[in-house]
Amino acid sequence: MSNSMTDWTIILRSLRARLFSTITTVVTVAVAVALMLVLLMMRDSGRRAFERGSGNMHLLVSADASPLVSILNGIFYANPPRRPIAWSKYQEIAAKFPLDFAVPTQLGDSYQGNPVLATTPEFFTKFQPVPKEPWKLVSGKFFATEWQVVLGARAAATTGLKLGDQIALTHGAGGSRDTGASKDAQPGPAPGHVHSEFKYTVVGILEPTGSAHDRALFTNLNSTWIIHAFDRRERAEHAADSSKDHDHADHDHDHDHDHDHKAHHEPPMTLADITDEDRKVTGLYLRLITREGSDSPANLPQIFDILRRDPTITVAQPNQEITRLFSIVGNIDQILVGMAGVVMASSGIAIMLALYNSMEQRRRQIAVLRVLGASQTRIFGLVLTESALVGVLGAILGLVISLLGVRIVTAIMRDRLGLVIEPLLSPEVAMLVVVATIALGVLAGFIPALMAYRTPVAKNLKPLG
Amino acid sequence: MSTTLALHIRSLKFQYPGTADKQWTVNILDFKLAPAEQTLLTGGSGSGKSTLLQLVAGLLDIQQGSIEVAGVSLASLSRAKRDLHRGRTTGMIFQTFNLLHGFSACENVMAALMFSSIPPSQHRATALQLLAQLGIDKPDSDPDRLSVGQQQRVAVARAIACKPALILADEPTASLDPENAGGAMDLIQQTCRSIGAALLCVSHDPAMASRFERRISLRDLNAQATQEAAR
Repeated sequence: MSNSMTDWTIILRSLRARLFSTITTVVTVAVAVALMLVLLMMRDSGRRAFERGSGNMHLLVSADASPLVSILNGIFYANPPRRPIAWSKYQEIAAKFPLDFAVPTQLGDSYQGNPVLATTPEFFTKFQPVPKEPWKLVSGKFFATEWQVVLGARAAATTGLKLGDQIALTHGAGGSRDTGASKDAQPGPAPGHVHSEFKYTVVGILEPTGSAHDRALFTNLNSTWIIHAFDRRERAEHAADSSKDHDHADHDHDHDHDHDHKAHHEPPMTLADITDEDRKVTGLYLRLITREGSDSPANLPQIFDILRRDPTITVAQPNQEITRLFSIVGNIDQILVGMAGVVMASSGIAIMLALYNSMEQRRRQIAVLRVLGASQTRIFGLVLTESALVGVLGAILGLVISLLGVRIVTAIMRDRLGLVIEPLLSPEVAMLVVVATIALGVLAGFIPALMAYRTPVAKNLKPLG
Repeated sequence: MSTTLALHIRSLKFQYPGTADKQWTVNILDFKLAPAEQTLLTGGSGSGKSTLLQLVAGLLDIQQGSIEVAGVSLASLSRAKRDLHRGRTTGMIFQTFNLLHGFSACENVMAALMFSSIPPSQHRATALQLLAQLGIDKPDSDPDRLSVGQQQRVAVARAIACKPALILADEPTASLDPENAGGAMDLIQQTCRSIGAALLCVSHDPAMASRFERRISLRDLNAQATQEAAR
């Protein structure tokens, strides 16, 4: 029990007297604030998530239809690229330009829905998924030879695989890709086929990078090529079989391309069996030689231009494409932030309505306070402070909700979309939203405060009725 | 006792906007209330008593003439200063007690002390002492849970909390039965005497007359001014 009454006593008592209205108003404001904050957090971190992944590469070369598609496929694993680049093209590019690295990559296989990136050991030694943050292992080692697989952090978590586990990869992502062999135009996802005859051993698990690479499994290109060569020979054999006997029911491997070769080749293929035709890659990560401390080599535009003139490949500058992507997406998130702003404004109206409704019951209280010595300005300030306080409480609760909410949203995005987002709320943005909410509270209190200011005293002290 | 008048009204003329020219609702040439003096002001509805009380309380702006409360001319003060001056020098008692709902008896008195010059740390002690003097034994209970008589006491305690020079009582007994009315008036009059506050009581209850040595009809007060002007 305090020793004196202050304006705060009156304000808090007023909020408590209409507790239900106060709580609903505060919650309304909090939800609006949380929505705004979550959107802002996701926007910034979404952009950051997209900025991660391309790392220290300068150029991405693929045979995709457009640079943006090649970035989405090659760095964010959206879909396996449809068209490969010939090995000779890789060799040509690698030889022609002053490159720090040219890392060939191939996508198309998957394991339990996780993409498999086949590449060379340089992927781990030269390429960095985030600039100045090289790959780190939680356990094990990077792959060195064929039939070894390294797991991205997310892939390790979702598959539950451990070092030493033996796995078979699925050729085809289980997606809608129509590989040459399975052209039977079935609606719905084609299941792909499991190469159970080729077992990979888990040799390493990577630390999280916060990029899309965390979803992937990494293997040696040679392994993929060997399987490719195996498939090629299969098809050839199969074509020969089919020409002899069209509908043989108990055939070992049928048109569904089910590679359940129990009695087949053991070991089925080796590196010696592959030809240049099998050596296909879907992407090249290129980095030019740079001077110490610089990341934008002067010859980048020139080399980009030369590569762009080659009609057989698509060349993309990841940073530019991501900026372009966000100039498209940016409009959408501006609309979302605008909508959150509208929600915030209507929560301000909720504050105003609650106060406005309470004014009728408070006229007598105001009149009494005036008689006791309160000035009109003080009464005005009392109501305005009460309104601002609702804004403050809403902002604080909203901040708490947003921090909890964003965890839930990121967990959903991670589990459903595999997009790793690290939401980060800059103190400036948080402060801005909080200040804006308080300002909104003050603004919302203006009309009720004016009503309080103008409350006639004598009239409101008379007996009721 | 101080020689400063509790209330001094001079050449006061007040007219509501929109009424015919020179149709004064209040027109008082000279009215004095000495310290601790108790005066009954009678007058039916429409006699301008409500307007006069608001003028004296500083709730209406003075148009002509002057009102001094505890030696300070109200017209010389800004609105905010006038409000504070009212809080410190004028206690008001109403027909309905007008206690603050949701605040305890003690807090109701402390609310008046918010505007006093008493340091906040002493507000609670002051209020409790005052309530004890007036016979309130449950100062922390909500006024709604007190008897009518006790509520009246809380209202009186609140009116005198700042040791005002002037108490304005507006029909203080109108909603009470005769027995309670007598008790309430005893309380108000005794309390005013004990703190040396002047009492201006406005009522049209005939039973009140015997309680006051000085009785003035508002009609007479207004007429005085009219005659003076005609002379």
